[in-house]
Amino acid sequence: MDMVISNLQQQRAVTEQLRREAAIRRMPVSQAVSDIVKYISDHMQDDCLLVGFSSQRINPFREKSPCTVL
Amino acid sequence: MNELDSLRQEAETLKNAIRDARKAACDTSLVQATASLEPIGRVQMRTRRTLRGHLAKIYAMHWGSDSRNLVSASQDGKLIVWDSHTTNKVHAIPLRSSWVMTCAYAPSGSYVACGGLDNICSIYSLKTREGNVRVSRELPGHTGYLSCCRFLDDNQIVTSSGDMSCALWDIETGQQTTSFLGHTGDVMSLSLSPDMRTFVSGACDASAKLWDIREGLCKQTFPGHESDINAVTFFPNGYAFATGSDDATCRLFDVRADQELAMYSHDNIICGITSVAFSKSGRLLLAGYDDFNCNVWDSMKTERAGILAGHDNRVSCLGVTENGMAVGTGSWDSFLRIWN
Repeated sequence: MDMVISNLQQQRAVTEQLRREAAIRRMPVSQAVSDIVKYISDHMQDDCLLVGFSSQRINPFREKSPCTVL
Repeated sequence: MNELDSLRQEAETLKNAIRDARKAACDTSLVQATASLEPIGRVQMRTRRTLRGHLAKIYAMHWGSDSRNLVSASQDGKLIVWDSHTTNKVHAIPLRSSWVMTCAYAPSGSYVACGGLDNICSIYSLKTREGNVRVSRELPGHTGYLSCCRFLDDNQIVTSSGDMSCALWDIETGQQTTSFLGHTGDVMSLSLSPDMRTFVSGACDASAKLWDIREGLCKQTFPGHESDINAVTFFPNGYAFATGSDDATCRLFDVRADQELAMYSHDNIICGITSVAFSKSGRLLLAGYDDFNCNVWDSMKTERAGILAGHDNRVSCLGVTENGMAVGTGSWDSFLRIWN
């Protein structure tokens, strides 16, 4: 009997969750992609792994030189 | 028809409705929509620092928000906090349990956390009055291994577990504030959204789930992968996320379109992905693989743009600094490498 009740409870939870997920509004993929592309374009210049460093002096991980200029 | 049958039937109808609604929103593909985008060319990075000190496999690493310190966890039973610029060890923290699987750095820099097969999330204070590092709280409660943890702030941490649940904890009281139930397999990884209101989880049930932290509810479920999802990470705009799986693919999912947008794979990549991270703009998706390499993907063209080769064993973890200036990789070869 307990198995039956817990199966029922489980199925109730599963179905209720699906009701919630089915009810959401979905954006067209074209608009979602367009937002992603715009974000990338707006931030590309600050993406060092993508555009590199204009000078290695800005790179905090550049090869360390033995002397420092005072 | 009894209630159980009627609920089951309704569930099937709802699953079909979700599938149809996703199809209806699918008016183009990512690859089509980005066809005219400028290609990015070959991405070449070099190892700038090698962090040596662990004596066994490294399982996890996490950058501090200063983009300089990082914490790593190894099954040699130590958490090491490194200054990645100098390669100095700032702290070497012996753990009560050596079976560690995850670690995290609090955004404030004042705490680190870790956990693993002990099922406990342990919080360590780095800034005690005495100047030593000590356990400030242990968070027991999960009935399975701790796979991932991330601080919301100094008093709240989210965890994922092999017990198929995630949890939000109040560190001060040591209690679980919220339990996130729904996955039907071990939860392997989680990623907090940039606004910290939601997080995404990836599990061995091959699905990713988006959770509302305050409500404690699963908002959306993303099927698609064909095997365990080992890693998840949000795209920097907070509206999409990437996953890495044992099915040898990474995928990009969009939250608002509620579906998979792209897959990153190649015929000669047949091993699992352990870790994923985006570069600062999101154009690059970095993924660590079981075959000892890290691939750099052009996230928009879904092509491989580069490779980070250098580790002598599986790449188990990786992360990009908050300022986007470097990638850190950790490996079963016991070393961490910093690349840019």
